[in-house]
Amino acid sequence: MKKITATLIKEWILLRRDVAGLLLLFLMPAILIIVMAMVQDAPFRDYQEIRFDLLLVDEDGGSLAREIKSGLKASKNFHVIDSLEGSALSSGQLQKLLREGDYHVGIVIPNGATAEVVNSANIIANNISRKLGLGGTMPSRSTRDNRYVRMYFDPVSKPTFRTSISFALDRFVTYSCSNLLVQRISQLSKLAGDSAEMNDDFRKVFAGIGIKEEVLNDTQGDKTYINSVQHNVPSWAIFGMFFIVIPIAGHMIREREDGSAVRIELIPHALRLVALGRILFYTLMCTLQFWVMAGIGLWILPLLGLPALYLGLHAWVLLPVSFAIAFAATSFGYFTGAVFRTTNQAMPFGAISIVILSAMGGLWVPVELLPPVMQRVAMISPLHWSLEAVHHVILRNGGIGSVAGHILFLMAFGTILWGISIYKNVSRARGI
Amino acid sequence: MSSAIEISGLYKKYKGAWSAALDGLSLTAEKGRITGLLGPNGAGKTTCINIICGLVRADRGSVQIFGHDAGTQIQTVRSLIGVVPQQIALFENMTALENFRYIGSLYGIAQVTIKERSKNLLERLGLAQHADKRVGRYSGGMKRRANIIASLLHQPDLIILDEPTAGVDVQSRAMIHEFLKEYQQAGKTILYTSHHLDEAEELCENVVIIDEGRHIISGSPKDLIIQTRKQTDCRKLEDVFLHYTGHSVRD
Repeated sequence: MKKITATLIKEWILLRRDVAGLLLLFLMPAILIIVMAMVQDAPFRDYQEIRFDLLLVDEDGGSLAREIKSGLKASKNFHVIDSLEGSALSSGQLQKLLREGDYHVGIVIPNGATAEVVNSANIIANNISRKLGLGGTMPSRSTRDNRYVRMYFDPVSKPTFRTSISFALDRFVTYSCSNLLVQRISQLSKLAGDSAEMNDDFRKVFAGIGIKEEVLNDTQGDKTYINSVQHNVPSWAIFGMFFIVIPIAGHMIREREDGSAVRIELIPHALRLVALGRILFYTLMCTLQFWVMAGIGLWILPLLGLPALYLGLHAWVLLPVSFAIAFAATSFGYFTGAVFRTTNQAMPFGAISIVILSAMGGLWVPVELLPPVMQRVAMISPLHWSLEAVHHVILRNGGIGSVAGHILFLMAFGTILWGISIYKNVSRARGI
Repeated sequence: MSSAIEISGLYKKYKGAWSAALDGLSLTAEKGRITGLLGPNGAGKTTCINIICGLVRADRGSVQIFGHDAGTQIQTVRSLIGVVPQQIALFENMTALENFRYIGSLYGIAQVTIKERSKNLLERLGLAQHADKRVGRYSGGMKRRANIIASLLHQPDLIILDEPTAGVDVQSRAMIHEFLKEYQQAGKTILYTSHHLDEAEELCENVVIIDEGRHIISGSPKDLIIQTRKQTDCRKLEDVFLHYTGHSVRD
């Protein structure tokens, strides 16, 4: 135990004098988390909180156009622009503005769109009236015209953006059409002499039916944590933790090169205990790193206008989780330092392997979006298990039972790599 | 006088090497004496030291240190020996005292004892006023002296020094020599390798010259000079060395 304590003290002395190492451990991941959370804040808010300028050309002038316009104006996602310098926007102007890149989306409601919708609604209402024997009829014509509401996009807009806007507009058009239909049926009913009061507002008719989004958790079903902080802080904290590979491998190789590793080897029964002390020290540092990053999410990011990190209903579970992640990361660093002979080999391997493992593990793109083969490959990435464990706690409000398997995997991963490293260190010394 | 080191038929060939580093080497170092292990570059001196302290495993042969087999009782052997490697095997970002505290702790020595021994050794080797400076800021000579202290904290009975004066000035070298002589007078055994043959002649009571992994000749410097003088013009140990190992440059 004294040898391990001595190693902890020695590593602490060396680390606190290694400014670059400290920066790599704490400052760089902190910057990474802040930058990534801020950069990704916009995409997370894109279709929830941000208001987009939307150009609207009303060539129709009817109720359909009014419904769409008022729906868009009432929506918190759109800022509707239908006139420029006091005069109504034309289709030509709209296309010009989009081509110039000043705006990203515009819609044109064509002349006769309302008439076409009314005609369709009347035909349907008449059919229903006839089948029900109501007697009344609405004016209609049998010929139908295509009167699509046209959407125009800036060519640089992303497909997800287009899909989202298109989906929102489709909702308004569907609502308008459905509302018109309900009104027509209501009118037919009155024509047929039905004196009963009938609700002709589509929204009121279908009140209480539809989709309501809820987040699963233990007690706070009304709270949602779909934001960039909740997703970025764990991802980049884990990414940063695994970058401990660089200082550990660097120290180990440097100690081999300058001979201090030989000194340790010459001391009876010291090699394994020194290795254990070093792993323990860096594991504790790495765990501290996780909590510093969590602290940034809790207290620094809100100062920058971002939401505060929510640690879930069982935040204490993050203690064993962060320790297991730190142990896996540290052992990976120890392994890299043991396997490679020079820093020129170890540094690129360390950095690139973490990038690969993080990409594989779903830190950049969610695993469920990866191809099936990659989804299976992801299971071997310790970063995947790390991220999943943290997500269980902070997004799904999971307890210790939900992450026990993850902790076990990470500890096993670390132990195996540590064992290989010790074997490699000893065999290298013996087989020079 | 009994032996501190007893090496017999030592053979070692590294993976991929085209010739053996040690080819049946046998030698003896007596207890309480300073023995010089001499040889040109590539003669096998460092391999021999690495096998003695268990850093390299021999293919054949045996090494006995105070009667303990270095192959099977390496931990016991390591507790009896203090190795001063060619490299400065210290943590450069730590002070000399911090290094000694750490190394002493790994040997299981109590902190009070480490402090006391470090103080004595630092004073003896002229580093007392630099004890709290980082080793990385030491001069070459200071580093060499600190390197020696770190190997003596556990008070080993056998000290193995692999070129301890390489790159140091005359003053530092003289101080190291004086210190080693004192240490030997305290009953310790010293195995010393150096390329400075004048230094070996002055310091060592016995020298072993090896070349191409084999024992060439051994004896006291004085006896070797007299013995060689019968065959060639020989006035100092360097002449003996050149006579037996030749004038060709080694890599």
